[in-house]
Amino acid sequence: MPISRLAVSLTLVACLAGSMRSAWGADPWTPPTPEELSMTSSPQAPGARAIYLFREQITEDALHMYSVHVRIKVLTEAGKDLANVELSYAHGGRGQLNLDEVGGRTIHPDGTVVAFTGKPYEKLVGKVNEAKYMAKVFSLPDVTVGSILEYHYKLRYDDHYYISPDWYIQEDLFTRKVHFLWKPTDAELLTNDDRGQLTSHVAWTPILPAGIDVHQERGANGRLTLELSANDIPAIAREEHMPPLNSFTYRVLFYYTPYRGMDDYWKNEGKYWARRRDKFIGPGPAVRAAVQEMVKGSDAPEQKLRTIYAATQKLENSDLTRGHSASEDKAQGLGEIHTTDDILRRKRGSGDQLTALFVAMARAAGMKAYLMGVTNRERSFFYPAYLSTQQLDDDIAIVNYDGKDHFYDPGVRFCPFEHLAWQHTRTSGIRQVEGGAVLTETRTEAYKTSQLKRVADLTMDDHGVVSGSILVTYSGIPAMRWRQLSVSSDEAAVRHDLVEQVGSLLPGGMQLTIASISALDDYEKPLIVKFNVNGPIGSPAGKRLLVPGALFESNRRTMFSSEKRQQAVDFDYGLLIQDAVRIKLPKTLAVESLPNEATADFQKLAGFNMTAENTAGAFTMRRNYALGEFFFKPSEYTDLRKFFLTMEAADQQSVVLKQAAPAESKGGQ
Amino acid sequence: MSPSQHVQKTSRRAHPRVRLLIGLFLAVFFGLCAGLPAAATKVESVPDWVKAAASQTLPKYSDRTNAVVLRDDRTVSVGADGRATEHRRRVVKILRPQGREDARIFLPFDSETKLTDLHVWSIGPDGHEYTLRDKEIGEVGFPGQGSLYMDLHARVAEAPGRDPGGIVAYEYDQRSHAYVNETTWHFQSEIPALAQSFTLELPAGYSFGSVWSHHEPVKPADLEHMRWRWELKDVPAIDLDDMAYTPDEAALAGRVTVHYAGSATAAPVGDTWKSVGQWYRTLESNRLDATPEIAAKAKDLAGASPDFYTRVEPVAEFVQRQIRYFVIEMGIGGYQPHAAAEIFRNRYGDCKDKATLLSAMLSSIGVHSALMMVDDRRGAIDPKAPSILADHMVTAIEVPEGYRSPKLRSVITAASGKRYLIFDPTWEKTPFGQLEHELQGSYGVLMEGDQSEIVALPVLSPDLNSIRRSATFRLTAEGVLQGRVTEKRYGDSASMRRYLYEREDAQQQEQFLGRVLRQDFASFSVADFKQENLGALHQDLTTSFDLTAQHFARQMGQMLMVRPRVFGTEDLRPSVRRQPGPRQVPIDLVETVQAQDDFEIKLPAGYTAEELPEPVSLTLDFASYESATTLLGDTLHFHRSYTVRQVLLPAERFADLERLAAVIATDEQSNAILKKL
Repeated sequence: MPISRLAVSLTLVACLAGSMRSAWGADPWTPPTPEELSMTSSPQAPGARAIYLFREQITEDALHMYSVHVRIKVLTEAGKDLANVELSYAHGGRGQLNLDEVGGRTIHPDGTVVAFTGKPYEKLVGKVNEAKYMAKVFSLPDVTVGSILEYHYKLRYDDHYYISPDWYIQEDLFTRKVHFLWKPTDAELLTNDDRGQLTSHVAWTPILPAGIDVHQERGANGRLTLELSANDIPAIAREEHMPPLNSFTYRVLFYYTPYRGMDDYWKNEGKYWARRRDKFIGPGPAVRAAVQEMVKGSDAPEQKLRTIYAATQKLENSDLTRGHSASEDKAQGLGEIHTTDDILRRKRGSGDQLTALFVAMARAAGMKAYLMGVTNRERSFFYPAYLSTQQLDDDIAIVNYDGKDHFYDPGVRFCPFEHLAWQHTRTSGIRQVEGGAVLTETRTEAYKTSQLKRVADLTMDDHGVVSGSILVTYSGIPAMRWRQLSVSSDEAAVRHDLVEQVGSLLPGGMQLTIASISALDDYEKPLIVKFNVNGPIGSPAGKRLLVPGALFESNRRTMFSSEKRQQAVDFDYGLLIQDAVRIKLPKTLAVESLPNEATADFQKLAGFNMTAENTAGAFTMRRNYALGEFFFKPSEYTDLRKFFLTMEAADQQSVVLKQAAPAESKGGQ
Repeated sequence: MSPSQHVQKTSRRAHPRVRLLIGLFLAVFFGLCAGLPAAATKVESVPDWVKAAASQTLPKYSDRTNAVVLRDDRTVSVGADGRATEHRRRVVKILRPQGREDARIFLPFDSETKLTDLHVWSIGPDGHEYTLRDKEIGEVGFPGQGSLYMDLHARVAEAPGRDPGGIVAYEYDQRSHAYVNETTWHFQSEIPALAQSFTLELPAGYSFGSVWSHHEPVKPADLEHMRWRWELKDVPAIDLDDMAYTPDEAALAGRVTVHYAGSATAAPVGDTWKSVGQWYRTLESNRLDATPEIAAKAKDLAGASPDFYTRVEPVAEFVQRQIRYFVIEMGIGGYQPHAAAEIFRNRYGDCKDKATLLSAMLSSIGVHSALMMVDDRRGAIDPKAPSILADHMVTAIEVPEGYRSPKLRSVITAASGKRYLIFDPTWEKTPFGQLEHELQGSYGVLMEGDQSEIVALPVLSPDLNSIRRSATFRLTAEGVLQGRVTEKRYGDSASMRRYLYEREDAQQQEQFLGRVLRQDFASFSVADFKQENLGALHQDLTTSFDLTAQHFARQMGQMLMVRPRVFGTEDLRPSVRRQPGPRQVPIDLVETVQAQDDFEIKLPAGYTAEELPEPVSLTLDFASYESATTLLGDTLHFHRSYTVRQVLLPAERFADLERLAAVIATDEQSNAILKKL
């Protein structure tokens, strides 16, 4: 049996994600039904600009070809845009990819067919070295609201090349019917990575709604056919504060694999992954020598790690600055990067490279240190059933001492010692262990790790204008963001954006300047910014003046305006915000009323309270808000929204100031 | 044609989608550059002219300055065939990390204007020198995303050593398009420039002229042998950051357009607008011809009415609404429209295509029209500087002598005495007879061959762009506000919503309304939403809905605080972001508008108003604002109106604008205090 080359092209996956279809016979078109022609809206997609009547993608390995067929019903003016079609693909390359047999037509509501008779324009999307990305562009003719747009094309690749398909079931439009089919080759294939593994199985990861599954069948010739048909697939719902799209839309991801199952895959690929990482980590002589210089054998493990961590953090993190090419390194007298010694020599590296260096240094210091590859929670969630190490975005470090695993994120600039960036918390991935690798989860950071303290000390004049200072203390993630900006941009940008950001919280007309910034480059300390502030703080109500009860929240809009929710709520990370605002009043003004004290909580996962205090010639407002959990299921939305509405209503309260009564004159005058 | 000219060709539509696509173009560029080897090999040494520029002592710049152009030399050599070749040398020094973007190599070209002899060098802040090899410079196309096809490409690269203190330099040759005989030197940008020069080399028998914009004319040095050179030193940056209500950079940045002509340049563009029109006539020739199918459709639409408006409007609306915006542009296609027959058959085209088809259709019914070159960046077209620089095309429809109609609002009178209705068939939501605000108060080139001229486009009356909100509410003692809201929008103020209600699905429409109401309510619900006249551009787009706002009135002891203004925030906040020092840049108020609110709030039983907001009235020449709250029986009545009458103001009026903004902001937060009887 001939052995052919195999390729799993993620580029192709991305290109085909928009739409899909099959090998067609002599007549590639589908006659429209009377119902399709007369349709003016879809009850399953109220107000939708269009719906997919049908999407089909057929992959035939024997023909080295994908066939895609799309039928779209245009329901509004906006839907007419879908007549402009751009099919992008990676042209040429190892698989010799080419897109051809493009055909299209427009069918009017009265059944009139207007064929696309032109030739698609071929245009360059981008070319870098040998890689060339092309697109075929065409516009279906004479489109009206009510038209059915129909087009098809084929993507072909080299006879010695195979591409396992990915089926994207859910799209931005409601889909009435989808059909996906794959006839995989039964030839033994070689992966196109550096190992050239023989593959003998087809596997897949389904993320599908209940009742829909991949149907597999072996024909009389023993050849496998995989197929999925489904009806009435809802459009992807996009909502604020939702988890990353990659984590939940319906799809089936296929691969040729030499492994028989999930455990087999992760055990073997994990071992390979760990070995490759170890090869890079070392530690080599340069790292060993450096560690010998910086730590003493008598240091406690934590002290050693703090020293190493600080050394790693001092290096240039090119994720925040810029990448350097091999030849740029060469011009600077630096060789290729093979190990962490090379990173140390450069005094710079990507986040992952610096993490590997940290692990190398820890090992050089005699510690049990490991690398862990994780899925970045900003991009997606980790699916163990998805048999691909490509879902591992970033690396973090684990060091075991005192019988316990400790997690570190040295690849994230300014991440505090023994903490993780939120993207790397409560996610999963694969970690090195002695002799291999295992799947595991990362830890969750306590919500108190990320804090914001805002203290305003203001004095009001007779006209309601306040002056004074605002002290903002940032800890955890909020501090890390400002610090990272100071590297990706500069301190001037930080100062500018701080004024913008804090200024946007305050009533209009208040002017801010920065008096001081402390610990901008010290990740172990809170970042403290002192602002000088001046301007009108209240709004008039006849002879009274209303001052926002929650000064830093008065401009904030309601978090969840919609009563309904389809997706989970994802706030990224937990947070504690503590505010205190003290305003000294002039003798001409006095407090008439203060906001009611308010308290709210949600399942002990989020809490809020606000208190007011009136003392002689001044009042003080205090507000605490804690978000202990960052992920909430759709079923929790109603109560979560109620919590926020309660808090927001309290935040809208005002302090009412009135003209003070004149001081009593003393008798005897 | 220079790269900077290249991206300003006429076919760029002032369509929001194109704005997005330009962003995508850059996104592709950045994305691909990420995949570039970013490689640099010390193949050859950095040229002396780069080193010399790099060794200059810089003046002191503010900490806002990202980068500085150390040297930018352009030499345009016109051949005997009339085609020009530009040789360019440019050296940039990065001053801040953000300056890396200013040092990115991004050089556009198309099939006729390919870049040759492109070299890129850089010097790191540590003194290391780099030369990029040709294969290390990438190439990107225009990411149309299904709505555009252009043969515009760009060579892209990110040089090594691009850190603060680093130097990035390049040099290239590029031929101009055959049909263009002008070149524009854009010598002012977002970063300052220390030394710049522009050299013109002409063949024997040629002559040239120059027109300057936003800069005093500078005389060129005569280098003899048909060579001239202009030099500029220390040109400041155009810094519009942290500034509200600014014109587009194109309306402020200095530039000079040089026209050249000789035996090989047919219908050359010269220093007059007439020559621009004559030049364009050669491009549009035959493209405006109406086929029998076009004529039949036009006649069918126009009907038998003798009335000009009645006949023309359906034809214009056909092109406006039935011809999809879709760009296909190659080489000369940046300026030249497709043939009317092709556009009509495909039912799609770009702005100049739509203007062309409309003109062809109108000619079929005996109505004369001309194309008009415009730019939606108000102020970008300078009446004192004739050139082909523009980004959009509309139609100028000749109005019969003596014909008057109140529906024809965007009418200009040419020097010939003829009157033209300026209509944009690409802008789908502007009523026929009017003009979108982006073009109001700017200039257009009336392309009438020998009668071509520059004309000022009118600023339309605020009542053609109106917002009228009204509502009747009931307030409960618990602070809940309930009632039905009606909002009527007409003109440009309705455009975005017409797009929204026409193009987006129910969920997105709901999300939009939610975002609008979140400006003014912490907690609310909406029911029974209705919209009327979505496609009827000559009528108010009317939306109405039931609104319930929890916690609207705030309880303070025995009092209730109520904001009579209820909703409809006017986001006029010029003082939120501002550069230090007095304003130097003119004010662009965007559009004329008239907004009016009338709300009634029935008070809860047992309550009366103890204090009402003071009435407010401020009238300025360019805008006015007034509001009043009154109590009639148990109902609060709130009325306010806000009118903007002008779109452009000199910089020194900024204090007035701030005063207006402060008055509005204060009034919008004003409360009535209700007290239990």
